[in-house]
Amino acid sequence: MKPPLRPPTYSGVWHPNAIDEIQEKAELGRYQIRGQATKRHDLPSLDDLVFTPAGLSRMALEGYREKCDTRVTIGEGRVKRPLVLERPIMIAGMSFGALSINAKRALAIAATRCGISTCTGEGGMHPEERQYSDKLVVQYLPSRYGTTPYDLKKADMIEIGAGQGAKPGTGGVLLGLKMSDEVAAMRDLPPGVDQRSGCRHPDWMGVDDLYMKLEELREVTNYEVPISIKVGAARIANDVKLAAKADVDAIVFDGMEGGTAASPTIQLDHAGIPTVAAIAEAAEALYEMGKKEEIKLIVGGGIKNGADAAKCIALGADIVYMGTAPMIALNCHKPIYQEDYERLGTTPYECQHCHTGLCPVGITTQLPKLIARLDVEEAAQRVENFLNAMTMELQLFARSCGKNKVSDLDPNDMRALTRDVSLMTGVPMVGLNGRTPMWAKY
Amino acid sequence: MAAVKKTLSIDCVGKPTREINAFIRQAADDGVPVVELLNPQARHNLGVCVLKPIHIVIRGHVGYYAAGLSDHITVEIHGSAGWGVGDNLMHGEVVVHGNAATSAAPSIRGGTVVVKGDAGPRSGISLKSGLLVVGGNSGYMTGFMMQKGRIVVCGNTAKALGDSMYQGSIFIGGSIEELGSGCEIVVPEADELDDILKTLDHYQIKAPKAFRKIRSDKSLWNFNKHDFAAWKDVL
Repeated sequence: MKPPLRPPTYSGVWHPNAIDEIQEKAELGRYQIRGQATKRHDLPSLDDLVFTPAGLSRMALEGYREKCDTRVTIGEGRVKRPLVLERPIMIAGMSFGALSINAKRALAIAATRCGISTCTGEGGMHPEERQYSDKLVVQYLPSRYGTTPYDLKKADMIEIGAGQGAKPGTGGVLLGLKMSDEVAAMRDLPPGVDQRSGCRHPDWMGVDDLYMKLEELREVTNYEVPISIKVGAARIANDVKLAAKADVDAIVFDGMEGGTAASPTIQLDHAGIPTVAAIAEAAEALYEMGKKEEIKLIVGGGIKNGADAAKCIALGADIVYMGTAPMIALNCHKPIYQEDYERLGTTPYECQHCHTGLCPVGITTQLPKLIARLDVEEAAQRVENFLNAMTMELQLFARSCGKNKVSDLDPNDMRALTRDVSLMTGVPMVGLNGRTPMWAKY
Repeated sequence: MAAVKKTLSIDCVGKPTREINAFIRQAADDGVPVVELLNPQARHNLGVCVLKPIHIVIRGHVGYYAAGLSDHITVEIHGSAGWGVGDNLMHGEVVVHGNAATSAAPSIRGGTVVVKGDAGPRSGISLKSGLLVVGGNSGYMTGFMMQKGRIVVCGNTAKALGDSMYQGSIFIGGSIEELGSGCEIVVPEADELDDILKTLDHYQIKAPKAFRKIRSDKSLWNFNKHDFAAWKDVL
C-alpha cells in the first residue's frame, strides 16, 4: 500500500534551492554563474504603483486621436549634435559577444525603425552595427576592448560604463564558449578564454579624474555629441551627484533587476537596490544639484512594458533603458527547440543560460548553427512590434492622466499599493492620499 | 602652392585646451611637420585625438591623458606627465623625458610609449599591443590585465607585477617586489634581448645588466576548481 501523499516540509532556511546551491559549489569549487538577472520574487517593484487617471478633477485626452508627444532629446543646449529619440526608450548596451551578430542586427534594425538608439556594449563596435543602427551609443568601458578614436568619433552618444545593476562593483564576464575567433580578435584576447573585465577604469578613479576623462572624450568627439555615465543602482544619490558635478549630459543606471550576459549568481541576488527604490533617489539628487532639466536620467532594470516605463518617467526618469525585454521580443525564452533547453537542464521561461553560449534560440550564442535559428528580419519585426505596443501603452497612461506629453507624467499621477514603496518613492498610499483615515474621526 | 612652415609654435598660456588641440590638428591637416607647445603648465588633455602624422614637442610638464586617443603622431614631452600618458595610442611614439604618473600607456593598441624616468602604478595596464619602455622604476600592478604587446622596465618594480596578464611579455632589469597572480618568470630569448637593447640604445636609455621575462602562465585563462589558490585573489 502506498503511503498517503503529504505536502513537503521544506525548511525555510535549508530550502531545496539553498541545498542545490551548496552542492553545486561543492562540485565546482567556485561560485555559480548565470545569465540574465536576479530570480528573487520578493523585491519591491514598479507593480506596487498604480496610475490614478483623470475623472472629474482632470480631463483625459482622447486615446486614439489627440497627440501625445514621446520625443526626448539628450544634450539639448549642451552639445552641437544632441541625441534625439522619437520615444523615451533606449536599447541597453549588450555586446557583440554576449549577443550573436543576428541579434545585434535585428535590434539595430528595429531601433532605427522606431527612431531610438542601440548601444555597442563591451567589446567594440561591430562594423555592421553602425551600418544598421541610425542612433548608436558607444560604450567606453574599463576593459577598453576594441576602443579606437575612430569608433568613438562615429558615436551618436558615448556612454562611460562605471557599473551595472546586475552586478554593481564588478566587471564583465564572458565565458570561453562565447569567445569565438571573431569576438576574441575584436577584444585582443585569446579565443576560448574566460574573460573577466576590470571593474575600474584603467586610468581614472574618482570624480575629479572623471572630469578630465570627460574632457578627453569631448576632444575626441569635438564636443559634438552627448556623453553619459552608467552606474549600477547602489549608492545612487551620491553617484548621481558626483556624475552631475563632472558635468555629464545624461546619467544612466539600472536597478538590481538589470540583466547581464553572465554574473556570479550571488551578486545578481544580493547586490544593488531595486529600480523602483532608486529612481526617486536619483531624481531628487538631480533636483538638489539644480540639474534635473539639464541632465537626462535614463533608467533601466526590469522594465517590461509601457506601464513600467510610464511609472519610471512619472518618478523622474526621462528615458527607459531596456535589454532583457527586447531580447524576449527577439525570441528569448520562447518554447521552441525544447530539446535544446532540456539539454541545458532547463526549460523556456526559467532558462537564463546566456552565460553558456548555448542559447537554443540563437540570441546569446556564437555557434553558427544556433545563430542561424534567429532570422534577422523576422526578429527585427517582432522587436519593432513590441516597441510600438509599448509606446502605445506609454501614451495610454499619459493621455488617461490628461497629459499631452509623456514627459509630463509626475508622481502625483500615481498611488502606491504598499507602504514600503510609498516610503521609498514619496508617492501617497492608495486610499489615504496623505490624510487621516475617515474612521479615525469617529 | 604656399610653402609649409617646418615648425609652428603655440604658447599655451591663456588658451583653452580645445583651442590648442584644434591648432595641432589643423597643423597636421596642413602638413606642418612639427608643432611646439610652450608653457603647457601641466595642462590636461594636450595633443588628444590627433589622427594625422605630426611631431609635437611639448616644452614642460603635462597633466592627464597627454597624446591620448591619437594615431600616427610622435610626441616629445620635455618634462613629466600626469596620469594616462599616451592613453589608447594607436600608432606612433610618445617620449616622456621626465617621470610619468599612474597608468602610463593605458590600453595602448600600438606604437611606443617611452618614460625615461620612473613610472607610477599600473603602468601598461590593459596593454593591447605596442611597447612601453620605462627607463627607471615602475609602480605596483605594472602590466595589470595586459593583453598583448611588450613592457620593458629597466629598474625595479613594485608588487603585483603582471597580475592577471592574458598575453604579451614584460621584461624587468631590476628587482621584482612581488609577482602578480597568473604569471611566471622565464628566461628571455636571445632575439628578444637583442631587440630590447637596440630599442634602449635608440632612446639613449642605459641598459641594465640583465633582464627577466614575465609572461602569463595561463592559469587564469579559464575557471578551474583546482586552482583556488590562484583564483582567490582575483575572482
